[in-house]
Amino acid sequence: MTQAVIAVILAVVLLLRWRSRAKRRTGDAKRAWSGLGRVTSDVGLVAAREMRERFRGRIFRVGTLLVLAGVAAAIVIPTLDKGTSQPQTVGLVGTFPVPLRAIVVSSAKSAGTTVRFVSVNQETAYADLRSGRLDLAIVAGQELVVNKPIASTDTSTTAELVLAVAKQLGVAEAVEAAHLTPAQSLELASAGALPVRSLQRGAVKGATQTTSLIGLILIFVMLTQYNTWTLIGVMEEKSSRVIEVLLATVRPIQLLTGKVLGIGLVAFAQASLIVVFSLVLAKSVGSDLLHGTAPVVLVSTLVWLLLGYAFYCWVYAAAGSLAQRQDQVQSLAFPLSLPIIFGYVMALTAVGSGSPSTLFKVLAYLPPTAPFAMPVLVGLGAVTWWEFMASALISVVCTVGVARLATSIYKRAILRTGARVKLRDVVSSAAG
Amino acid sequence: MGGLLELEKLSRRYGRITALDDLSFSVPAGQVVGFLGPNGAGKTTTMRAVFGLTDLDAGTVRWNGVPVGQAERRSFGYMPEERGLYPAMLVGEQLEYLGRLHGMSAIDAQSATTNWLERLGIADRVRSKVDALSHGNQQRVQLAAALLHGPEALILDEPLAGLDPTGIDAIGAVLVEQARSGCCVLFSSHQLDQVEDLCESVTIIDHGRLVVTGKVDDLAHSGSRRLVVRVEGDRDALWAKGLAGVTISEVDAGAARLVLDDSVDSQSVLRAAMAAGRVTEFVFRRRRLSEVFREALA
Repeated sequence: MTQAVIAVILAVVLLLRWRSRAKRRTGDAKRAWSGLGRVTSDVGLVAAREMRERFRGRIFRVGTLLVLAGVAAAIVIPTLDKGTSQPQTVGLVGTFPVPLRAIVVSSAKSAGTTVRFVSVNQETAYADLRSGRLDLAIVAGQELVVNKPIASTDTSTTAELVLAVAKQLGVAEAVEAAHLTPAQSLELASAGALPVRSLQRGAVKGATQTTSLIGLILIFVMLTQYNTWTLIGVMEEKSSRVIEVLLATVRPIQLLTGKVLGIGLVAFAQASLIVVFSLVLAKSVGSDLLHGTAPVVLVSTLVWLLLGYAFYCWVYAAAGSLAQRQDQVQSLAFPLSLPIIFGYVMALTAVGSGSPSTLFKVLAYLPPTAPFAMPVLVGLGAVTWWEFMASALISVVCTVGVARLATSIYKRAILRTGARVKLRDVVSSAAG
Repeated sequence: MGGLLELEKLSRRYGRITALDDLSFSVPAGQVVGFLGPNGAGKTTTMRAVFGLTDLDAGTVRWNGVPVGQAERRSFGYMPEERGLYPAMLVGEQLEYLGRLHGMSAIDAQSATTNWLERLGIADRVRSKVDALSHGNQQRVQLAAALLHGPEALILDEPLAGLDPTGIDAIGAVLVEQARSGCCVLFSSHQLDQVEDLCESVTIIDHGRLVVTGKVDDLAHSGSRRLVVRVEGDRDALWAKGLAGVTISEVDAGAARLVLDDSVDSQSVLRAAMAAGRVTEFVFRRRRLSEVFREALA
């Protein structure tokens, strides 16, 4: 995946280099290869400096720890009331035959828990349910009583136990009423469900929904953070005037490419760390994060984080070249963040509803919003592989165009000092 | 090492302002060349043009007869007027990084960093952040950044600005040493006394045009004669006022520095001084660079 990051950004660089070189090509192939080696060397040096400084920064280290802590909480907390939780206490009111107790124990096992039986009278059972000492009361083997209503979608351990016990005791009662032979009863008990196929794509649920949400938040936070870093990094080089020393040695496009490549690799490294950490943690605590299409959503998230950064980093870098001071950063970054916020909100809405609108599907093909929309469509199962690839291709092509425009603005604005450079001044100077 | 930096017919306009107007001069190897002019004369624009930091409307910068490109610029050293370093980066790492951008290997850049920091007396600051250094030490680091890769040409914009006498001596010694080793050294400054001490040649521009260029010694011996006369008891040199063909350049503690027209006989000046009182000093002096500068721009 790291190779993919480098490949995409270097593709942009090489294409731009090729375009400019084509105009003044001398036919000296040897010199061209030598120049290309020098270009990649300079880009690598700039990128390496960016990576070193970012990795070393307190913001990166503390930020990474906070994100990992947040992800860990999101994964671990839902599992706390499952599996290794304390036994569920079941109050038995009246007689409750041993075979039926075995059914309750079996149901508890399927719900990932164990049970402890307590014999109580009805009044005590109700009181204990209200106080929480009992999780479930079975009255005369005929009725199940809980403290609060349980929805069929409730995934808590108690809910899963209650639903399983209710069903199994119902089946046991029906078997007994039908006067079946033991063999027939056994066969009935071991019956599996028929496969169910739906004609319509269903809404995203459970694990995939959680994964989509985590992925969306990851993309939003990282795109915002790292693009702002790019903007501030360019602005700082301009305001500290180190830009003159640098551009006396390397070309603007080399410097800019090295910067966005370095920051992009740091972003990708951090995102990969978070994803790997999430997967390992999810597996170790038995989270549902790895179930269903969730891993595919995670991979899609990484791919679109990369493509989203590649698209936006040039725009933010060009904006940074217009700034002169720290206090100008907010006013420059805000309009650039609007499509990011729009895409993020639309994606959150789509995940919540589980049914993407036509507008949302269109957004999945527009490079500014595709990083949010496409992973959600992947999670919903509402996109084919070639639609995914088509959107990615559109994004790469548009990124090349945006990179060319941004580089042009950067070259014209980065050495202008004094008041903040206005975009129209840069454009008019380009036209002039 | 050794080469010739030629600036040929450089022109640059910013709207209605002409920054460079058909400016041509050259900087030979082995000399420290002072680049002088009033504020806004176009010195910084010229230096930036050498490094491609200013787009020229016309003109060419050549190095040994070849138009300067990125490869040539990589062999130059540059110290911009507005000092440029990463404020939060460590001094040593910053210099190594800049050295590598000039094409040095990691080992060479590290070695050169150590050598230059020691040479400039700030070896103990190698692990300091730049913004923790004093102005003078930041200036030294900036100079080290320009020297690190053993440049063939050094272009320094106001390298002496804001330095104390010790700093001026240290940096001046380095510039002379570089020139003696065959480097082209061009530096701008408003401190004309220091320029006179350091430079073999000067180039003076105004409004983007070349005004004067030449060796300091030649310029000092050209132009009107300078005569310093001190008359006892006349601290304001009142005796010299009104003398035909004589201009009082300055009066310093009773010593009048006079500029004589070609037609003026120095003996007539001596007689006028003796008539005013006892003459304790009567000596011809060479033209100072500050006088060359003022007269060139007059």
